[in-house]
Amino acid sequence: MEKNLAGDSIPRPKWRKVAYGGMQIGYDDNYTDESFLEEMVMNANVVRRDLLKVMKDSVSISQYLCIVALVVLVWVHTLESSLDENSLLLLDLSLLASGFLILLLTEEKMLSLSLLLRYLVNISFFTTGLYILAPIYQTLTRSISSDSIWAVTVSLLLLHLFLHDYSGSTIRAPGALKTPNLTSCISVNASIVASVFVASRLPSRLHVFAVMLFSLQVFLFAPLVTYCIKKFNFGLHLLFSFGLMGLTLYSIYALHRLFFLVFLLLVLLVNVVCPYWLIRMQEYKFEINGPWDEAKLCFDITD
Amino acid sequence: MAEPPKLRVLMVSDFFFPNFGGVENHIYYLSQCLLKLGHKVVVMTHAYGNRSGVRYMTGGLKVYYVPWRPFVMQTTFPTVYGTLPIVRTILRREKITVVHGHQAFSTLCHEALMHARTMGYKVVFTDHSLYGFADVGSIHMNKVLQFSLADIDQAICVSHTSKENTVLRSGLSPAKVFMIPNAVDTAMFKPVPVRPSTDVITIVVISRLVYRKGADLLVEVIPEVCRLYPNVRFVVGGDGPKHVRLEEMREKHSLQDRVEMLGAVPHSRVRSVLVTGHIFLNSSLTEAFCIAILEAASCGLLTVSTRVGGVPEVLPDDMVVLAEPDPDDMVRAIEKAISILPSINPEEMHNRMKKLYSWQDVAKRTEIVYDRALKCSNRNLLERLSRFLSCGAWAGKLFCMVMILDYLLWLLLQLLQPDEDIEEAPDIRLCHHQGVEVSEGLTKEDKVRNG
Repeated sequence: MEKNLAGDSIPRPKWRKVAYGGMQIGYDDNYTDESFLEEMVMNANVVRRDLLKVMKDSVSISQYLCIVALVVLVWVHTLESSLDENSLLLLDLSLLASGFLILLLTEEKMLSLSLLLRYLVNISFFTTGLYILAPIYQTLTRSISSDSIWAVTVSLLLLHLFLHDYSGSTIRAPGALKTPNLTSCISVNASIVASVFVASRLPSRLHVFAVMLFSLQVFLFAPLVTYCIKKFNFGLHLLFSFGLMGLTLYSIYALHRLFFLVFLLLVLLVNVVCPYWLIRMQEYKFEINGPWDEAKLCFDITD
Repeated sequence: MAEPPKLRVLMVSDFFFPNFGGVENHIYYLSQCLLKLGHKVVVMTHAYGNRSGVRYMTGGLKVYYVPWRPFVMQTTFPTVYGTLPIVRTILRREKITVVHGHQAFSTLCHEALMHARTMGYKVVFTDHSLYGFADVGSIHMNKVLQFSLADIDQAICVSHTSKENTVLRSGLSPAKVFMIPNAVDTAMFKPVPVRPSTDVITIVVISRLVYRKGADLLVEVIPEVCRLYPNVRFVVGGDGPKHVRLEEMREKHSLQDRVEMLGAVPHSRVRSVLVTGHIFLNSSLTEAFCIAILEAASCGLLTVSTRVGGVPEVLPDDMVVLAEPDPDDMVRAIEKAISILPSINPEEMHNRMKKLYSWQDVAKRTEIVYDRALKCSNRNLLERLSRFLSCGAWAGKLFCMVMILDYLLWLLLQLLQPDEDIEEAPDIRLCHHQGVEVSEGLTKEDKVRNG
């Protein structure tokens, strides 16, 4: 605390937080008032997290991991020729039908007949286009060696998982969720390219069409379906996720013991270890706000 | 025979003439006033295009345009140790006693301060901007600042809000930070003898048209004010990416005759634009200290500004109307300004500004900071290293290694080129007028080149 420079006779004027008027009488320029950092606000916007809620939220991530694992399993079985094209086509149709059913049941507002018809028309365009383009996919990577294909596919799938938007869905139902951002578009593209690469290794045209249809169905529409289930009823979402996890673990166990172990550890890591770690790190959070912050505009800038 | 200069100051920054801006003006005017007080001032900055080498400016101000290329936003490419030889040469040649760095964003400044500390010189740093804490760029910048300021003698900030911000970002003790504001050259910014008629109220805006300066707020505010007050017109000077949005706004609301867009206004013409107006509007989203407001007040304009950063501290309450950075509140503030406009007397405002701000006052206060810095004790390398260790678990050790390497490189340089071999430059003292206030405006004819 600075001493009174003028002695005891003349009380110095009160210090003011102003920049004009030169040096304030009785105060040095490095005088620090008691009101220093008075307007600083700490941790104003920090969300206090609860372990159970974080674990429940992390189920969405492991659910998507299971879905991707199932897709990879189907690819592996098709490449080993243990799954033939007719059963694949049957799988595709059943997935399509069940996906549609779930969307219908979980939709809150009534879907009009015209909307349904529009969906059906889009789906048929999509399927026809894929069937016509199947020969192109078949010969696409003929000159590339298999090793490169597997390497690229794995890295693309990892990129897809890394950049995926786990909280929503990139493909929007009309009038629903937020606009997709750059990373979720990149992840969708990565998954599509990975499926094209895998499909190009298959023997016949029908194989290619069936696998492409399956992969694209899952990668493009599974996030939408799971989002609708989650929005409809959280308990149903948890049940569905655990069912998927069980199915995936059983299928991987039938394939290879080591992968089963790795996948189990991954699921445990995502569901148990990471939430606990996140809660532990929260105590280091130190968010500072004050008058020096850049002002936030309260209106949207429409360019 | 003039007595030898009392202090010998080296100003270091990436931002200097021929660039125009807050930091550049600050360095120039501060240097000129220090020269008038009898000290020696040398400026070090990077080369601007062809402008490289040594130049002399008004009053005998020597400027070293070091031939380093700027790489992004006018800052030099950071090579950490690359500037050690040239800084050492300049410090020895000019027999510098205090090194004064400006602006946290300037890499040349940080490197020069680091080398100056290694060589045992006293160091002062001035911060001119406010930074946040949350985004990636700010986090890295704050770490660099922590390193730079860990070993500094004194620091200066341009407003109290800036002092709080700097203390939080760098972890400095508040007693080491001095608050010395910027000032304005009131001789250059004089109001006109007869104010333009208030039948048509002119609101002037001069700023870069970027997001940070609130150009989007202008887009919302201008049509609303034009709608409410048919006798108001706007003059917008400055250029930038948001120019397009303002043009669109003009088209959409058919305000071509009420909003005049001047484009980029060179610094010498700012005063002539300001005196055509009655009110100055500043819509920045963040400002450590807004010099534009001072220039406007010196020309006799009433200011309307957003209440951000250090702006509330700059002018007394009767010269400025503050508003939240929200279009409705700004429109209300403009209404209030229009209503109190008849009671404003430009000449009186200008005379008040002359007393409130002057560069001579800033120079005297800075002199006190230099004296304080010179009184700080000399520390050897080991004591200084302990200051860096507190910067962080990993960062502290990294900074220590950087400083040790710097010290070793300095010893190597001393071996290769001993101190005695560096030729000392003689002091050239240009005689200047005593007791006559001359305008210190920046004009091209004032430079004298010394080949």
